[in-house]
Amino acid sequence: MSRFEIDVDLPLGRIALAVRCTSDARALGIFGPSGAGKTSLVEALAGWRRPRAGRIALDGEVWFDAEHGIDRPAGERRVGHVPQDLLLFPHWTVERNVRAGAARGGSESTLQRAIDVLEIGSLLNQMPPTLSGGERQRVALARALASGPRVLLLDEPLAALDLSLRRRLLPYLARVREAFDVPLVLVSHDPTEILALCDECWRLEEGRLVEHGAARRVLLAAARQAGTFENVMRGRAVATPDGGARVALAPGVELAVAGLREGAGADVLIALRAEDILVATGELPAISARNVIPAVIADVRIEGEDAWVEARVADDVHVTVLLTPSAIRELSLATGSAVRLVVKAQSCRVLARS
Amino acid sequence: MDGGLQLASVLGVTLRVALVATVLVAPFALATGWFLARRAFPGKSVVETFVALPLVLPPTAIGYLLLVLFARSGPLGESRLGFDPGVLFTWRGAVLASAVVAFPLAARTARAAFEGVDPRLERMARSLGISPWRTWGTVTLPLAGRGLLAALALAFGRALGEFGATVIVAGNIPGRTQTLALAIFDEIQLGDERGALTFVGVACALAFVVLWSVERLARPRTAA
Repeated sequence: MSRFEIDVDLPLGRIALAVRCTSDARALGIFGPSGAGKTSLVEALAGWRRPRAGRIALDGEVWFDAEHGIDRPAGERRVGHVPQDLLLFPHWTVERNVRAGAARGGSESTLQRAIDVLEIGSLLNQMPPTLSGGERQRVALARALASGPRVLLLDEPLAALDLSLRRRLLPYLARVREAFDVPLVLVSHDPTEILALCDECWRLEEGRLVEHGAARRVLLAAARQAGTFENVMRGRAVATPDGGARVALAPGVELAVAGLREGAGADVLIALRAEDILVATGELPAISARNVIPAVIADVRIEGEDAWVEARVADDVHVTVLLTPSAIRELSLATGSAVRLVVKAQSCRVLARS
Repeated sequence: MDGGLQLASVLGVTLRVALVATVLVAPFALATGWFLARRAFPGKSVVETFVALPLVLPPTAIGYLLLVLFARSGPLGESRLGFDPGVLFTWRGAVLASAVVAFPLAARTARAAFEGVDPRLERMARSLGISPWRTWGTVTLPLAGRGLLAALALAFGRALGEFGATVIVAGNIPGRTQTLALAIFDEIQLGDERGALTFVGVACALAFVVLWSVERLARPRTAA
């Protein structure tokens, strides 16, 4: 297990990056909004930016120490760096790009394994500008791995790709994590990527480390705090008699989730927007929504044009619903009202799998 | 001299002067271009202005400065050096005059070519353990290559047409220092319209080829 000691003080225009923490994680996620300083932190680790003060060490090997005047050049840190823009050499073939990684002393077997794991054998004679986004991504990863790095720094490796391509490339990153015994630092603003790959997560905001710890805990808190999904619920995948899969939120409370491929027993995080939930009273006609969940209203709060309803579906499962004040009036909703929550399976997002 | 022979002689001197001037200017222009593109230092704008100066100075002023510099008693003259540097009124003088005038064009174009190479690519090469010189030779230079060739083609083109500085430093000696520009001037002075037009035609053809090459080189390469 590797130990990263990071103490970085780096001015970044209007903010200053000030991060001080250590990590023993095999895969560390750096999470935060744009402008939080994630890329600058990774560039400081890679030796591309020189902090004003601080210390960076991996397994006791000091890369940077302002106090003692140590600043090892980027080429001597043996970092496999995949920046956002990949920086493949456009005038070299894929093979020469990947071999450039091996120039530092990465072995031929590591290079071959990188080519095999990332399935780029058929691309070796092509030039980077002719590759698709996903192929370029895999080549950049192979180059980083071929260099025999002590740590892989992946800066938003999938950010430039569309959602479906991101989902297709995620398994490659997971495969890299499993096939190579190299600690990994992954910068991302996508919780799915971090949860799929990282054990630990550091959350940055405006250059400050605001939270760190187990990836799931940090991201769950972030999702709630950011309000992007008002509802983030833990659950466990369960099999249904018809061969489908649902997520059990509590005994007797199950949720049909579109795209759920986890087998029975898998823990998942489900995210649900407040405005995607309907509230019904009385009998329901035939309806396309896959989830009709009995609930009791615990609280109703009117804020201007918004009516926030807190509904309890189980002892420790509460759901926040966004309605209009007129809906509250017409349905006579109040604390204690028995209702049914109507949720489309497509509105339920799988935030994380484990 | 027979017209054909004279044309061959003038063309020979012109091409030789322009070619040697381009070779002479190349390392200085490339180094200056790279330095201005990649380095920040105090007084950079003063250096930039100094580099561009020959672009706006009258070529006769440049010629006169070179004449003073290489005159027998000048700072680089025979009296000071102890030997004749062999510049004034020789083809080498024409080369020097053309090189000085062509330098800013080449340096500025080279600078733009180097600026067109993402410095992060160089940083990535260094990160991968590639030495600074190898990075320069295998990443920077090839990626800036077309722009650098355009810079040299521009320098060659400028040297082809040089007149003001050349006539002062090298004179107008047929067969030795008489270039196309000087020959045109000569023919006009002699009232030989046909001879002048012949030289002008050759000058136009050369200029066209050079500029066409520059345009082709400067055009960004399209991805396959």
